[in-house]
Amino acid sequence: MKIKSPKDFWAGLMFIAFGLFFLFVARNYQMGSAVRMGPAYFPTVLGGMMAVLGGIVFLQSLVFAGPKIPKMSFKPIFFISLALILFGYLLKPLGFILALVIMIFVSAFGGHEFRAKEVTILAVLLIIFSVLVFVKGLTLPFPLWPAFMS
Amino acid sequence: MDMTIFSNLALGFGVALTPINLLYCLIGVLLGTLIGVLPGIGPVATIAMLLPVTFSLSPITALIMLAGIYYGAQYGGSTSAILVNLPGESSSVVTCLDGYQMARQGRAGVALATAAMGSFFAGCVATLIVAMFAPPLAEVALKFGPSEYFSLMVLGLVAAVVLAHGSVLKAVAMVLLGLLLGLVGTDVNSGVLRFAFGISELADGIGFVTVAMGLFGIAEIISNLELKDEREVFTNKVTNMWPTKEDWKRMWKPILRGTFLGSALGILPGGGALLASFGAYTLEKKVSKYGHEFGKGAIEGVAAPEAANNAGAQTSFIPLLTLGIPSNAVMALMIGAMMIQGIAPGPQVMTEKPQLFWGMIASMWVGNLMLVVLNLPMIGLWIKLLTVPYRILYPSIVVFMAIGVYSLSNNPFDVLLMMIFGLLGYIFVKLECEPAPLLLGFILGPLMEENLRRAMLLSRGDPIVFFTKPISAGFLIASIVLLIILLLPNIRKKREEAFVEG
Amino acid sequence: MKRLVVLLAMLVHAAGANAQWPAKPVRLICPYPGGPVDISSRVIAQQLQEALGQPVLVETKPGAGGVIAADYVAKSPGDGYTLLMGAIATHAINPALMPNLPYDPIRDFRHVALVVQVPNVLIVNSDLPAKNVGELIALAKSRPGKLDFGSGSTGSTGHLAGELFKQMTGTYMVHIPYKASAPAVLDLMSGRLHLIFDNLASSLPNIKAGKVRALAVTTAKRTNFLPQLPTLDESGLKGFNMTTWWGVMVPAKTPNEVVNRLSTEIVRALETPDIRERMLAMGSETPSVRTPEAFSAFIESEKALYAKLVKVSGAKPD
Repeated sequence: MKIKSPKDFWAGLMFIAFGLFFLFVARNYQMGSAVRMGPAYFPTVLGGMMAVLGGIVFLQSLVFAGPKIPKMSFKPIFFISLALILFGYLLKPLGFILALVIMIFVSAFGGHEFRAKEVTILAVLLIIFSVLVFVKGLTLPFPLWPAFMS
Repeated sequence: MDMTIFSNLALGFGVALTPINLLYCLIGVLLGTLIGVLPGIGPVATIAMLLPVTFSLSPITALIMLAGIYYGAQYGGSTSAILVNLPGESSSVVTCLDGYQMARQGRAGVALATAAMGSFFAGCVATLIVAMFAPPLAEVALKFGPSEYFSLMVLGLVAAVVLAHGSVLKAVAMVLLGLLLGLVGTDVNSGVLRFAFGISELADGIGFVTVAMGLFGIAEIISNLELKDEREVFTNKVTNMWPTKEDWKRMWKPILRGTFLGSALGILPGGGALLASFGAYTLEKKVSKYGHEFGKGAIEGVAAPEAANNAGAQTSFIPLLTLGIPSNAVMALMIGAMMIQGIAPGPQVMTEKPQLFWGMIASMWVGNLMLVVLNLPMIGLWIKLLTVPYRILYPSIVVFMAIGVYSLSNNPFDVLLMMIFGLLGYIFVKLECEPAPLLLGFILGPLMEENLRRAMLLSRGDPIVFFTKPISAGFLIASIVLLIILLLPNIRKKREEAFVEG
Repeated sequence: MKRLVVLLAMLVHAAGANAQWPAKPVRLICPYPGGPVDISSRVIAQQLQEALGQPVLVETKPGAGGVIAADYVAKSPGDGYTLLMGAIATHAINPALMPNLPYDPIRDFRHVALVVQVPNVLIVNSDLPAKNVGELIALAKSRPGKLDFGSGSTGSTGHLAGELFKQMTGTYMVHIPYKASAPAVLDLMSGRLHLIFDNLASSLPNIKAGKVRALAVTTAKRTNFLPQLPTLDESGLKGFNMTTWWGVMVPAKTPNEVVNRLSTEIVRALETPDIRERMLAMGSETPSVRTPEAFSAFIESEKALYAKLVKVSGAKPD
């Protein structure tokens, strides 16, 4: 077995995995009949179709040549994801302003170069803008400062 | 044609052009543009927030402002879609496809101007349609039952495949994945929680905005950050800011077609307006002789969906004004806003409160004019934004996305979900699987299942209903024809070639 | 630094004198964004803000039929800074419908004030031959399993009212669930559905325009909006009494003074002519339940009613 089209090879596997996943989980629900279709009816049909399609894409990848998968870069993935999660889960405990500081600095680490001074200025400007527009203007219910301080 | 339309419109403009109504119309469209540009912050949250403020206003002034927020947001949504591949509103997802590519090629100004002109034209025509044909068109909405909706969704699904420019097989698989993701949450028919794994945040399903922002916005940022040189993101040479003669020639027909498709779909309650932009894009891709340029910065790919979504935004007022039936979440809130002002929305509004009915319609035209006058000069400013170094631009985009998504339900879970879809979107880019068909499947999935099951329940299990009802049968025949065109061998061969090149 | 000092001072101040409530912004958590619950939350928040002298922010927390919001408030500190706009779904229907509800609707809350109470109406397609409830029952008996009734969702008041109707009249009709009541009303107007138990306020214009026909209200007493419309109770369904309602609640540990103050202010606000008029426009007459104790008792009785109803309807998600 030789993978001729790596993109399709992995895409096929991914589709098979998603299809089987939905198929498998849907087994917990009722199938019903054509008149009273149960909650499992639609996902089972779709999941099955998807797995079959994934299979075809997979098999094709062994026959027809295709381009390689470009290199993945994990630095931006890591820092952007981390920045988002930190903001989401720190907003309520730390308040809007500190959560923004953390998010801006962490996401800035994901870039090519990190210039501390530039990022600090950016953070200050973004925070002023966000507080004015989102909290004061649009009255989003975000606490500005940590819970223990207010 | 009935001549009373002119006296009605005159009455309407008399109301809409009073200084106070002009002022609040302006405030509405300005605010709408702002929240439209900001991702995640939508008209529903903004209108709800402003409701108490409107108590001190007369009903018509309040409604003019609130309506302005709604269609202003449709307008602003395209700006962030074009500039940074971030759908500011759900209806501007399609605009990302070609608008952002145009921006990367230094044609952001042209794309923004196209979107503005397309939206303006569509807004004017659709407003006229509302004024002249609202009652008969409301009857059309009544003709759409579960079987008609299901068949329309089938047509949409077949069309979804056209959205992709690579492999048909992968596009179909992506549509299926979208359909399946759309099923997450509480099943309408049985009340059973599906694919929620005990996470209560998933009980109402995955939000469209969350998925779209992840797949488009986050994935794009990660992809851009891996470029060797950040100056590769946007080309430095901005060709021209204003559409050329050639551009105008290419855009006017798509705008016309988009306007009519959008006006038609906007009338249908239940996702009509959202489907409009996808529909218009697909249609253009099929009929345009520049079909091969779609997805790579075709001006038609901006003009048609922008016209369609703005037209749909205007005509979606028809069921509200004539039947008291909301066609989307914003309209549902508008009903509440009207009720709390002492106006019961429904068939009598037009006869009992003509100043309100016609004043609101006239204000939509005024508002659209304000939007285009305000936005065209802004284009220069927006383009300046793209000259900001990407290392400064991207943390700002991340900030706005995170705030917007968090505000959807004031829950960190949505931010996490957006991140997951961002990673998934990045993997899709690497594996050359396009996200647009997935998103269309995601919209269609739950609607399709719901209507199929409801139709079967109403017909007591007889699938013949899909063929005996003329509208439904028409859609199904159109789907079959489209499918045949898609599967014709020579077309498929061309697609395979395109795929290998890519 | 100066800000920190001010904040610390406020902190000490707040801790020192609980009587000073509210010393900071109050949040009113609304489980259903973009609908009548959201709108009335904004109205009440604005009134409270004026009365309390502190900002009252509405925070929407949608999800899981209101469970996320209710659970959030149930587990919040009882300091009077987190309020809930609790509703019939979160406090009466969900406990019967969902076996693993993460909160207790009675013990985890102090029930402050009922804000809105709207009747439902039984409306039918205007071409349906039934002109009153008696004729509808006769029609349903002559065509068993042929009539369809729609509702805004499985387990909604509209659905449960229909199931109760079926059970009390011994008829069989098919329930067609929708995602919201608006599309169901559209299908009713066009004749695809035969009847719906819908919110009075939203169906009133269409009743008046003759697009649908109202046969009865679901409340024990007739409504002032349609005084000639009989109740279901009068029409032979003895004891039929259902309303849709929502009101302000706080976590169980909230001190009495706060609960009483909030209750007084909300009841006072609801009685001002302006707010009264706006609530009336939404179909809600000023509720007769006026004290926290009465509200608690009301919720207890509603919870018992729906526990029974859900059982007879078999509307459990399987």
